[in-house]
Amino acid sequence: MDIFLQQLVNGLTVGSIYALIALGYTMVYGILKLINFAHGDLAILGAFIGLTVITSLAGSGGAPANWIVIVAFVLAVLMVAIAGVLLEFTAYRPLRNAHRLSAVVSALGASMFIQNGIMLIWSPQTLTFPEGIMPETTYHFGSVIISATQIFIVAISFVLMLALYLYVNKTRFGTAIRASAIDQDAARLMGINVNKVIASVFILGPALGAIGGLFIGIYYRQAVFDMGWIYGLNAFIAAIIGGIGNIPGAMIGGLLLGLFSSLASGYISSTWQQAIVFGLLILILLVRPTGILGERVADKV
Amino acid sequence: MKQSVKQYLGAVLWIAALLVPVVASNSWISILSVFAIYAVVALSTDVVLGRAGMYDMGHAVYFGVGAYVTAILNVQYGIPILWTMPIAVVVSALVGIIFAAPIVKLRGDYLLVATIGFNEIFRMVLINDVGGVTGGPDGIFNIGAPSVFGYQINSQGGHFLVNWVLLGVVLVLMNNLEKSRLGRVFRYLKEDELAATTLGVNARYYKILAFGLGAGLAGAAGTLFASELSLVGPDSFVFMQSVTLFAIVIVGGQASIPGVLLGTVLMFVVPQVFRDLAEYRYLIFGLAMIVVMVLRPQGIWPRRSRPQ
Repeated sequence: MDIFLQQLVNGLTVGSIYALIALGYTMVYGILKLINFAHGDLAILGAFIGLTVITSLAGSGGAPANWIVIVAFVLAVLMVAIAGVLLEFTAYRPLRNAHRLSAVVSALGASMFIQNGIMLIWSPQTLTFPEGIMPETTYHFGSVIISATQIFIVAISFVLMLALYLYVNKTRFGTAIRASAIDQDAARLMGINVNKVIASVFILGPALGAIGGLFIGIYYRQAVFDMGWIYGLNAFIAAIIGGIGNIPGAMIGGLLLGLFSSLASGYISSTWQQAIVFGLLILILLVRPTGILGERVADKV
Repeated sequence: MKQSVKQYLGAVLWIAALLVPVVASNSWISILSVFAIYAVVALSTDVVLGRAGMYDMGHAVYFGVGAYVTAILNVQYGIPILWTMPIAVVVSALVGIIFAAPIVKLRGDYLLVATIGFNEIFRMVLINDVGGVTGGPDGIFNIGAPSVFGYQINSQGGHFLVNWVLLGVVLVLMNNLEKSRLGRVFRYLKEDELAATTLGVNARYYKILAFGLGAGLAGAAGTLFASELSLVGPDSFVFMQSVTLFAIVIVGGQASIPGVLLGTVLMFVVPQVFRDLAEYRYLIFGLAMIVVMVLRPQGIWPRRSRPQ
């Protein structure tokens, strides 16, 4: 039982990080019908930018002050959002009317570019995050240990997801985003600036992804240039589990995937954890390809 | 250019290429020798992706199955390389058919994600040494060289010739597929599955067949790959390899034989030549993929729709 509860806590933490990154995939897919393969790498770019800010402002000794951590998050979000907009403008916008696979290859190229860019700018080796970025306190409930970092990650993720949900569902521009996702042409005819909507999605997604990436760095206390693809892939699987294109779906999918993979590694096998996750993915695709919250859409009428 | 002229030119180029081992340096022989293998794998990817129109991003699996079947049969049971090829082809084709059967009903991107999943599971199976035959993360060493009429082919030139003969055979097969009923069914399914189905084409059967065909050809290439390098390891068949194969087809031009060959040159030979750039290689590679797609979304040498 204790193992179960402990894995639940760990799974919830990882799951909320997956959810944050999954939102970027699902929003882009919702509007462009494009798997943005570069998204995971953008998220990890956030981790590296955050790490650089922390180490250069805090010096080598001692825990970084709170304001430094906040500055790290803000700068990571800003720079990754700019990178996201640049990516859309250079690699995806020219291909909007081309064959769908051309944009997919462009996305794969962008992923490779960002990944190797990170390697050249920072390091091909694994970098470690300093101690004490978040309070080191741990809370014991029976034999279940919850760290303050975990509470922070889950709490901030939930606040951000709630904010995004309200933004997309309650504001005027959010309505424009949803309208563009349903039917771009109709949205354009209603006077919605679809280009602006797409650009906004490439700001919001990468911004949330950057926070997720920095969380990964802080939680596991390390970052390596090519980890974007495995975290990206997991987040993308989360988006599919929830129903790709569906924003609350990505949140639920992320949490479920986090819980599932953490229980799978705790109870079945940690070496096979990733394979089990892929098995689950294929099973879900076969049984319900539209995911948990995805609507059933007829292929052709 | 007329179709027959193109074929004639192709045949002349192929014969000219056979002279490479006589005139070129060792490094060029080995690059072009492996090129022939990758060209076969790329053409086999094109059967599924470019011709039948299914987004297959896990084709390295079938290449890997072929290579491992040859490696295991040759090293553990001492079966000569070329004898293992038919077995590698059959096993790869079966794996392709078994994988494809449940997933061909998925459309576009869902199929793509499922194939990525298969590729990852395949990698885990190889690394975790399931059944104790894959050699784990290190792979399998000391794979023999092919022998033709009793002659052991150990030289680079020998490997080169064997690989290019396979490439030649596959090119002829592709050329026939292009003109055959089967090729037209694939194209029809790709362009308009609903229309094809209403005309009585069994979509599921032909889609699975496309996977089986593509996987079998990749398996044949796997045999020669194992023999050429004399070792196989999981790294050669990971997701990144599938991505490269996918990109070769899209960058070169879907369902276009010269396009896929050109794509293989760009994505495989060029990076080998620019080895000196070392760490900048993949940065430029990624950038080039974006630039080519933006400038030529249809691929560099797209298939021409024949006026009829």
